[in-house]
Amino acid sequence: MSLEQFQDRNVAEQNYFHVDIPDYPTTGWGKVKRAASRTFKGELFVGLWVVFREMIKFDIHTVQYPKEKLPVGPRYRAVHEMQRLFESGTERCIGCGLCEKICISNCIRMETKLDENSRKLVTDYTINLGRCIFCGYCAEVCPELAIVHGPRYENVSDQRAHFTDFSDMLTPIDAAISGTQKEFDGFGAVTPHEDERVKTTPLAY
Amino acid sequence: MENNITITIDGKEIQTREGEFILNAARANNIFIPAICYLTRCSPTLACRICLVEADGKQVYACNAKAKDGMNITTTTENIETEKRAIMEVYDVNHPLECGVCDQSGECELQNYTLEVGVDSQSYSVPDTHKEAVDWGLIHYDPALCIVCERCTTVCKDMIGDAAIKTVPRGGDALNTDYKAQMPKDAYAMWNKLNKSLIGTADRSDMLDCTDCGECTAVCPVGALVSSDFQYASNAWEQKQVPATCAHCSAGCQISYDVKHTDIENSDEKIYRVKNEWNYVSLCGAGRYGYDFQNADAVKDETAFNAAIAAFKKADTIAFTSSITNEEAFILRRLKEERGYKLINNEAKVFKTFLDDYSKISGQQLYGADLKMVHASDFVVSIGSALKTDNPNARFAFNNSITMNKGAGLYFHPIKDPVIDGLSKNVMSINHAPLQEETALYLMLDLFADKENLPKDITKYLDSFHSKKMITIEETIKEEIIEKVMVKQLNKETGEEEEVEVEKKKMVPKKVSKEVEVDDNALLAQLGAPADFDEKLQKFLKKKEKFSLMVGPDLYTHPNSRNLARLVALVEKYTQFELVMIPALANTLGVSLICDLDEEVGEYTIGYNTKADFTLSALGDGDLDMPALNQQEGTLTSINKRVNPTNVALSYGGYVLNDIANALGLDAKYTIDYTKELGVVKGFSRESFDDLPNHYTNSGEEVRGYLLKRIGIRRSSNESVNELEDIAIQSDIVYLANPVLQFTAFTNASHQLHGEGGLYGSEAFMSKHALNAGDKVNVKTAQGEVRAVMIHDNKIDGEIAYLPTFDVNLNSEALFSGYRFSSASYTKV
Amino acid sequence: MDIAFLIETVVKIVVILLVFSALAGFGTYFERKVLAFMQRRLGPMHVGPYGLLQIAADGIKLFTKEDIVPQNVVGPIFKIAPVITAATAFMAAAAIPFMPSFTMFGYEVHPILADINIGILYILGVMGIGLYGPLLGGLASANKWALISTARAASIFISYEVITGLALLAPLMMVGSLSLIDFNNYQVGGIASWIVWSQPVAFVLFVIAGFAETGRTPFHLVANDHEIIDGFGTEYSGMRWGLFFIGEYANMFFISFVIAILFLGGYGDGSGLGALALLAKVSFIFFFFLWTRAAWPDVRPDQLMWLCWKVLMPIAVINIVITGIVMMF
Repeated sequence: MSLEQFQDRNVAEQNYFHVDIPDYPTTGWGKVKRAASRTFKGELFVGLWVVFREMIKFDIHTVQYPKEKLPVGPRYRAVHEMQRLFESGTERCIGCGLCEKICISNCIRMETKLDENSRKLVTDYTINLGRCIFCGYCAEVCPELAIVHGPRYENVSDQRAHFTDFSDMLTPIDAAISGTQKEFDGFGAVTPHEDERVKTTPLAY
Repeated sequence: MENNITITIDGKEIQTREGEFILNAARANNIFIPAICYLTRCSPTLACRICLVEADGKQVYACNAKAKDGMNITTTTENIETEKRAIMEVYDVNHPLECGVCDQSGECELQNYTLEVGVDSQSYSVPDTHKEAVDWGLIHYDPALCIVCERCTTVCKDMIGDAAIKTVPRGGDALNTDYKAQMPKDAYAMWNKLNKSLIGTADRSDMLDCTDCGECTAVCPVGALVSSDFQYASNAWEQKQVPATCAHCSAGCQISYDVKHTDIENSDEKIYRVKNEWNYVSLCGAGRYGYDFQNADAVKDETAFNAAIAAFKKADTIAFTSSITNEEAFILRRLKEERGYKLINNEAKVFKTFLDDYSKISGQQLYGADLKMVHASDFVVSIGSALKTDNPNARFAFNNSITMNKGAGLYFHPIKDPVIDGLSKNVMSINHAPLQEETALYLMLDLFADKENLPKDITKYLDSFHSKKMITIEETIKEEIIEKVMVKQLNKETGEEEEVEVEKKKMVPKKVSKEVEVDDNALLAQLGAPADFDEKLQKFLKKKEKFSLMVGPDLYTHPNSRNLARLVALVEKYTQFELVMIPALANTLGVSLICDLDEEVGEYTIGYNTKADFTLSALGDGDLDMPALNQQEGTLTSINKRVNPTNVALSYGGYVLNDIANALGLDAKYTIDYTKELGVVKGFSRESFDDLPNHYTNSGEEVRGYLLKRIGIRRSSNESVNELEDIAIQSDIVYLANPVLQFTAFTNASHQLHGEGGLYGSEAFMSKHALNAGDKVNVKTAQGEVRAVMIHDNKIDGEIAYLPTFDVNLNSEALFSGYRFSSASYTKV
Repeated sequence: MDIAFLIETVVKIVVILLVFSALAGFGTYFERKVLAFMQRRLGPMHVGPYGLLQIAADGIKLFTKEDIVPQNVVGPIFKIAPVITAATAFMAAAAIPFMPSFTMFGYEVHPILADINIGILYILGVMGIGLYGPLLGGLASANKWALISTARAASIFISYEVITGLALLAPLMMVGSLSLIDFNNYQVGGIASWIVWSQPVAFVLFVIAGFAETGRTPFHLVANDHEIIDGFGTEYSGMRWGLFFIGEYANMFFISFVIAILFLGGYGDGSGLGALALLAKVSFIFFFFLWTRAAWPDVRPDQLMWLCWKVLMPIAVINIVITGIVMMF
């Protein structure tokens, strides 16, 4: 890539072009001429025509939001979701705490403990959506693809807590088992050709 | 310790001292040499072999190669890089990829060095074995994560002295022999050793039998050894480190409280664990696990505060313990000046009296040495202290000097201590009767004093103990014999091993009996020293250069303590021994220097951390709450004569002593405003709290607070000491001491160490009195009687039991008249 | 005065009040719809079919909204100001002949409240009083934005009174009467006889002045949202603000009627078709108000003054002189 445009730091010159505007008139006669030309040039009527034309064409672009919705991109970063493993339906989250660490608005908090199977158990997990800036770092850093962004951007509720509870974020178990849980394609997702980049490790068995 | 030679590392000329390990020299000068298994202050283990350097063209291990003048060292060559890469690959073989949940959470040396060396592919493999994680009480061991660097076993043996863990056979398949040819030499050797060992308890039992210091978890470079309580509780990076000074004993160890919000709902900070700079300071279990003794939920209770002010106006006496900061002690001193309170603190008072008496002969305000000098010495004597519980750091120093400096030690104490006995065969315990500490000090003079200069009457008195006697001794001489042995030898022609018979000359020890005239020392008999004392001592004293003496609280509380203090001063003056006194509590030294203490109690007493007519308590059980030592900033004076700063780890919502002082007419915004004013006290400096550092440098230099100044005292020419009195404690004996992991009610307030106190006795004690663990026992002395539960303590031996002070429900101190031993009668209830 | 006249007058007052209020409401609906269509939007759609009931929703909202009288305002004046705005708009409608006379139940109805012979003078006067709404409201609001708005309102009204007056003088000279019915009758001879053809300059000047006095884009300076919030209406809420709103839209309709009657032939010959034609003309002028709002930018206050005193007034005077000369010869 050429870096020319970055190296040219003369902001006043680059990528700007001058509109051909005549200088302000200095003489009285000049001012009269300008007033006259502006008055009779008919630009005002062009404006009127343009909007009238659009009205006649009736080419309406409104999306009637609650009834109609625009499709959301696969990498859209809205309210978080917690994924489960396919088939088994076990939570993917291992409680490593990387999301808590990387969160730049400091809105993730989690509590972990040792469970009876000597595994790390996430006992509590919250995201303060009032603080979240939906940067997607948590999804990017997650080693298990557990925390992802979902497409649900309608987070109006009488309780913000409705969106911050771990159990609410978690994919319903039946969705995970039936395989309808959708993978997130955005930040942190497995890239195509990932297999080619993995190095093999010798195994003794 | 002077830097006297110059070596060159990677072209940089550095100064170091003869015999210093190259690794330490490099570290002191901020030159990075990777090392996993090495621990400063402990012996090199050569387990990791990654500290390879090239010294004068020869490949050596930086951790055990000593610097020589003019040495030229290169830290990296092509071969070394290949070795390092192979070593790190080997460490990564079969290491579980559970970094995401591992408790080390990134503070992992395996991770660091793997990245440092740049391991991005693996060339080696060996079948993995299933290794079950084990819980050893406060310590949790996951062998799957273990890289067998042996730091834990090294620190346990060389520093702590428990030697409770060691390497044990690993089991599983042997390495593929092809690797020997393929792999770099050191990497293969290191792997070969690694693949055969794991860490296990020294006695191969399921439970770890040690003093639970947890130092092994601190030194573990990976997440194999962790605190059971901390497991999966929090990620390391979430923790904020609060540099502090341990508040439990006089060692004043530097620690950092790791704090984080309590949970999702509660943003108040909570201490999750305690960490230490394990290369330079070792913690005991009380310091490591007894951290959450804060006075939680204290609020500004105005009624109680007003009651306190009224009480202060009414009172004429303030009684307190030494678990307070220097600043608080100074406030008490100022209150005494302003309002004429009597200050009562017996434990500090006896220490102060002892110091005063000592000063009269020594001409110094304070004892001359510190624990660092004990670490460096090679002959250590301890008198009058239950070393492992009075001051664990003194025990570590005792052990460290013996193991690292090929040293030896004498331990004078009435209670037999298997931990001390187990330190080394070069430690001799003399379990004398109580009250015989004086005799022990006379023995010190007799054995080590410069008799020429010693006052004549003392020399004469000492001579009176000596007589001659004939004894039969067995002597071992060496005799040469020739024997035939079968030796495995490599046949150079066939390349196979075969057995060959060879003749060998050998020196074999032979015992002969002999009758000799020896000196009979009556002092030894009085102390109950073992029969071979003289013989052993001779062996111990070979090639010894630096001598240290540690004296403990038994001396300060001794009925003849004034005489003992003079004897101690004489020992310091007329022998080569450097002297360390072990203050009983965290800030006993500071309190005794700052406060002018009284003996007589007045009519109305305010108690600070001690029950009185009006009680201020940091334990939360008094009339007005006070902050615990992890909730306030201030300084503590340690055994090393150092004024150490400690910071606020947890918030505190109530009133502090300074508020009371301000209400009574003093004027200081913060308690630490008094830090500067401490300068008026002899020995202290006029330094403000915020200027006090609290860290160690890479060379291990302690940059913490400041050292007390050496203050000369007018020496009295009178060096006379009283002769031994024939005093003894009759009947059964009870001792006032705490079990391992406990010091005060504060250690007991922490959730991991909380427990109920009782009468602690050995197996021998219990069988003598026909008691079983769990029995209720009435302990009766001349002073009083308490009922306690019998608890078996396998860390002591002999027939003396002890009562602890950490459990406030067990008012054990009331049973003692001052001296830590008392005659007692035990009845089972 | 007979009873029938009284009843007729009361009925006419009620009808005017109701119709103009309703028109103000529908005006907002049309404005939103027209602007939306011109901007490729749909406008209000949710309340009622095609958002028709939006007016009702807005009305309910305005009526039920809390009436806030802020601290530091001059209470009585603050409260009376919106009433003045709305009242003047309705009062001005008194002199307007909305339709030709017709007979109902044998009774001849004149759809004009007061056929006074100085109708135009009355209209100009009442329009002038309309200034007091913004003026008092803005001054009483204890608000900087409102104050700026007031200053602008005063200068604009006073200046453009001149233009309205001067612009109308020429047609007046031609018609020779101040009665609006006479104006209508003057143009009864079909499209060709409309005054707009004989007095195009006066027509243009009057329309411009009309825009200025109703405060519509491109002269929307009195309550220019992006610089002075809602101007004199900033501190108002609920129905008081609603009265300003009704006043503004009623004024727009009223000006539309005036223009239609003065220049565009009014209801013509008095037939039903003529009445419909008047409605069509009024509707177009109203639409034109909305149309310009969608298409044109606002001018600056100084430009507005410049336009008034340096351009429009001289032209108006010249127009009168020329008209006079033409009439003389």
